[in-house]
Amino acid sequence: MISSTLETRELVTLDGGGVLLHGTYHKAAGKAANGAAGSTKNIGVLFLNALSTPRSLIGESGVYWATSFAARGYPSFRFDLPGLGDSYGEIPNDLVKFADEGGWGTIASSKVKELVHSRGLPGVVMFGHCSGATTAIYAASRSRECKGLILMDPYFNLPRSLTPSLRPGLVLWVRSSKTGALMRAGYDRIRELREALRKEKLPANANLNLLARVKQVVANGVPILIFRAPKPPAVGGSVLRAGDFDYFDYIVSLAERSNQFTIQEIDDTDHSFSNRAGRLAVRQHSEAWLEQYFPEANSGGVIQ
Amino acid sequence: MAVLTQTHRNPAHTLAEYPGYFPVSSAHLYTVLHQVENPVARVLLVGPFAPVRHTSYRTWVQWARHLAANGIEVLRYDYRGVGESTGAFEEMTLESWIDDVRCLAEWLRKLERKAPLLLHGLELGGLLAARAFHEGEADALMLWSTPTDANQVLRSALKHWIGPQQLSKREGERRPPSHYFRLLDQGKNVEVEGYEWSAELWRQSLTFALPAPMVPPNDPAVSYKRPVHMVALGKNAAPLVYGAVPGYEENKDFSWLFKPNCQWISSNLSVPLEAVHD
Repeated sequence: MISSTLETRELVTLDGGGVLLHGTYHKAAGKAANGAAGSTKNIGVLFLNALSTPRSLIGESGVYWATSFAARGYPSFRFDLPGLGDSYGEIPNDLVKFADEGGWGTIASSKVKELVHSRGLPGVVMFGHCSGATTAIYAASRSRECKGLILMDPYFNLPRSLTPSLRPGLVLWVRSSKTGALMRAGYDRIRELREALRKEKLPANANLNLLARVKQVVANGVPILIFRAPKPPAVGGSVLRAGDFDYFDYIVSLAERSNQFTIQEIDDTDHSFSNRAGRLAVRQHSEAWLEQYFPEANSGGVIQ
Repeated sequence: MAVLTQTHRNPAHTLAEYPGYFPVSSAHLYTVLHQVENPVARVLLVGPFAPVRHTSYRTWVQWARHLAANGIEVLRYDYRGVGESTGAFEEMTLESWIDDVRCLAEWLRKLERKAPLLLHGLELGGLLAARAFHEGEADALMLWSTPTDANQVLRSALKHWIGPQQLSKREGERRPPSHYFRLLDQGKNVEVEGYEWSAELWRQSLTFALPAPMVPPNDPAVSYKRPVHMVALGKNAAPLVYGAVPGYEENKDFSWLFKPNCQWISSNLSVPLEAVHD
């Protein structure tokens, strides 16, 4: 009666190295399957948790994208990292700091290897949202099996030093209230002025370790698709203000070739990309990108 | 009897957990059975409304593991159309979700090794569990943070979603919660945090209430002659309830909540509390 398998999905685990991860496998449709159990010719897509969100992601957008990619022939996998969702494990009190420092990077890269070998995949594209994008970058930098990255609203700065000294309730208020937004905007302007005067290449709160990993991934020739949600108008909109550092310009300047980065701004959505417009746009752009860089006949390598 | 195709053991505590898909009308529910060898009781966990699922998930799983570690077998699941369960959310109603509670409770009652069954609901899950208990589906009931009707749950979810949404919209595009309530009243669907709420879900929520014997000042234990435990949770229970700061509160110690409630289950279902693991 209860089964671990449906026609298009299967509940799976990765248990190598004594670390048990629970996940969902979305079977690739039709022609991609080569007949061997669970093995396909096409590259896989691996979804990572965004902070503590379970593997379905907000509004089940992860399920939606994984289902869509699988229907296009790309076997898709969503796993809960240790301590998240259904997977066992301890997590620290400050998850943001943990993710920013690449806390899940090592385990993610070893699980990518395990997944690729156990499923006979030619490689995987890692799909990460917000802090999940951070984990994806850390993991990709040490993984030969990671052939591409899809990053949604990645960030390359560490939390401002002001935040940790505030009570969590106050942080929430500052993040979610209109008055808080004005305070943040004012604080941003002071910070921008300070940064402009410093005239340094990277801001003081840049996540240098993460940027170094980006350089490494770029040097490995991995193609990267980035989605950006519009910045809330209450904090200045999408237009960069004087003194703002454009991390995206910076990382694009690291590219080994002109088409290594694809950056898509998605309108009418928010940071979660979980509304109808966000889901659809991410799905369509990702599918086009996957087909461009990993067409079925040559999904093991990157089309340059 | 279920066909359990995979055994997944927690390497640290050797507690078996069986994820699976449970067939219901036109969909499959994602279930996780926290199996115990000789259970002193069984609990069906009925979680909160969809938008709270992703913030409360870890704590809800921790609670299931706490119960299993204390000899109480647990089945937790995702609502139809939510999380890992299949089905289209926009087609779901409170009636379809209470059908799921009935199906799962019936499955648990039919398991070979008999044990008293408790329904435990959080927030909207409390209303669903209470309705099923009212119909005689279980031996005991526990409710955490359950309002008197489902419409309060939907209103609260929309209000919590709208705050950050206001920031992402330009001045002229911002709408107060009353705008969305009006659309739903007019029979239109509204998208909230990636979920499309149907007008039918909204309509049903207006009359989907806690059974009268459970509404204060009534004493439900007297009416039902079965144990009922109702717990109001404050903001200190975030992320089980709204108000958590993502990234900073997932690892909170909930022993202040888990221990006494586990003790209540044990003592009210007349079984000894056998602490298998601390």
